[in-house]
Amino acid sequence: MRKKLVYGLCFLSMVLMLSLPAFSVAAEGTIKLGVTEPLSGTFKDIGERYLDGVLYAAQVINESGGLLGKKVEVVPIDSELKPDVATRKAQSLILKDGVKFFCGGTGSSVGAAMAQLAEKQNAIMYTYGMDAASMTGEKCNKNFFRPGGSTDGRSFALAQLVVKMGYKKIAIIGQDYSFGHEALSAFKKRIAQISPSTKIVCELYHPAGTKDFAPYVSQIIAAKPDAIFTPNWGNDLTLLLKQGRPMGMKQKIFDYYINDEVTIQGLGNDSLIIGSMGAEIWTISMPTKKNEVFVAKFYKEKKRWPSYCAGKAYTATMFWAEAVKKAGSTDIAAVIKAWEGLSFDGPAGVWTMRAGDHQGQVPYWYTEIVAKNKYFKHAFETPRGMATAKSVEVPLAETGCKMK
Amino acid sequence: MSDIPVFFLHGLAYAGLLFLVSAGLTLIFGMMNVLNFAHAAMYMLGAYLSYTIIMQLTGQFWMALILCPLILFVIGALIERFLLRRVHKYGHLGELLLTFGLAYIVTELVKWYWGNYPLAVNITGFLSGTITIFGFIYPIYRIFIFLCAVLVGGVMALILYKTRLGIILRASVNDSEMTNTLGVNVPLVLMGVFAFGTALSGFAGVIAGPLLSTFPGMAQEILIDAFVVIVVGGFGSLGGAIVASLLIGQLQSFGVLLIPKLSVALVYLLMAIVLVVKPSGLFGEEQ
Repeated sequence: MRKKLVYGLCFLSMVLMLSLPAFSVAAEGTIKLGVTEPLSGTFKDIGERYLDGVLYAAQVINESGGLLGKKVEVVPIDSELKPDVATRKAQSLILKDGVKFFCGGTGSSVGAAMAQLAEKQNAIMYTYGMDAASMTGEKCNKNFFRPGGSTDGRSFALAQLVVKMGYKKIAIIGQDYSFGHEALSAFKKRIAQISPSTKIVCELYHPAGTKDFAPYVSQIIAAKPDAIFTPNWGNDLTLLLKQGRPMGMKQKIFDYYINDEVTIQGLGNDSLIIGSMGAEIWTISMPTKKNEVFVAKFYKEKKRWPSYCAGKAYTATMFWAEAVKKAGSTDIAAVIKAWEGLSFDGPAGVWTMRAGDHQGQVPYWYTEIVAKNKYFKHAFETPRGMATAKSVEVPLAETGCKMK
Repeated sequence: MSDIPVFFLHGLAYAGLLFLVSAGLTLIFGMMNVLNFAHAAMYMLGAYLSYTIIMQLTGQFWMALILCPLILFVIGALIERFLLRRVHKYGHLGELLLTFGLAYIVTELVKWYWGNYPLAVNITGFLSGTITIFGFIYPIYRIFIFLCAVLVGGVMALILYKTRLGIILRASVNDSEMTNTLGVNVPLVLMGVFAFGTALSGFAGVIAGPLLSTFPGMAQEILIDAFVVIVVGGFGSLGGAIVASLLIGQLQSFGVLLIPKLSVALVYLLMAIVLVVKPSGLFGEEQ
């Protein structure tokens, strides 16, 4: 026991040391990119997979001569998923090391705080994974960019898919906080616009981190839907499937983040998830030439497949690099100006940065989970077409964004 | 409202899980006056051990159900003998800090050994099946959870109130010095209690594995629930834990059905009301 204790204490102190902000010596001639992700705690695995993508983008940029002739240096920042921690660490990087560019993908509250910091300190923050629509809506500001998806885009894409497949009675269930509410209301809005005959037969909100889904599942079953829509992720998706399927909830599930290999592995039973469909801004199976090249190169070098987190972070970071290249300098005002309206033809199709709200206009790629795939032994995705950026566009006037 | 019986069943199954998780906690508090913060971490350790036993070694759920509590019994005994007993003389703060620290150490060790990813514990055979009750398909495993809780609650009550061992236990709590003079090895009794409480948390972990997710955050998630149960039921009261589990289970289940907007608040509302009306909990003794 004592030996174990010693090991444990050593480990603890190591963790504590690692979570201190990384102080890097300000090397001349590099462009620093701070990555705010939870690199410890419960959501560590998501943070690490996002960081993986940013690191790989930096590697690709540096291998091809760098950015404006300088190397891109990635500075990981453990946000601990806390807005105050992320901004405190970022602030010190801005002041001590002159870091001007930041990105991150986990936790809309972290993103909102980082966006404010960026505005105050004349830096740029961009996100590839924080999806709350309000971030480029009411809360938008000129130093914040989202080369990525939003709850609006995802919900619109899935609503269009559900209607196209002919489902008429839909049950919708989401987490009871801003993210879940934004996702479900966007879904309802789109359904009402494109197919008034499609009915929402059941609308449920559960607390994030619900342990017993049975009372929710019984209500879904009682409403007799022919399809289910949910923006749930992580454990809330796992338990909905794990507890719902044995109770007779057999309907096809349309979910935001279905192609998450960690979630599928964590289910441990492929039959629970096969047939479910999702919409993402980057998926490993997108049949574009550039994506095939990226995925193959990534696999060849790392002997593992890029996760959807890595793919999104990679693509968004390449887009950011395009903006810096176009600006011809790292001057923040110049980069903001260059990024506005810029189009980037990357692995996930053409992404365009709308000037009015800094929301990337991006296509969404549909996937379905099937048993046989070339990536994993467990069930994984296969491509099922896409929704064009135009088809899921939210008119600027409806976003609520007033950029100063 | 033809589905009311199903919601009642949901409530029972969840109550079963709540009771299993909180039984060890309330036992240790009731008998030893120690608020064991490491309880949930031991529950997590039980769940992870069951993963190794079921998915990697034997493939048998029953093996995990027997082995995990045994392993945790030994761990619990060692903790009491070599750690808890030494800090006991420094009072509650020492015990609190010790168990709090243990919780962190166990959590980090689990992450270190099993990794940060969620693991799947799957059951096969009879328990993974379903039966039809009241015209609804119902998973057998949820009924099994409730039956396990009844069994554990029944055995604990029998031992405590109907056996010689129970008399010794209760005597040790009431007046440990007197019991000691009468020739009972009180430290050994307390070591046994702590070990049994720890074994119970491991048992709960095995039971929870196939229903919930096995991941490093599972301890924190369940700790709050367990505390709510024993606060409502009364610290240290077995009957209180049973009643509070049943109450909270049904409140959750029907709360979601009838007043979904308030379903989360209901449990805490119940706790607040109990604390105002009877601060020692439903069955707790006035201090």
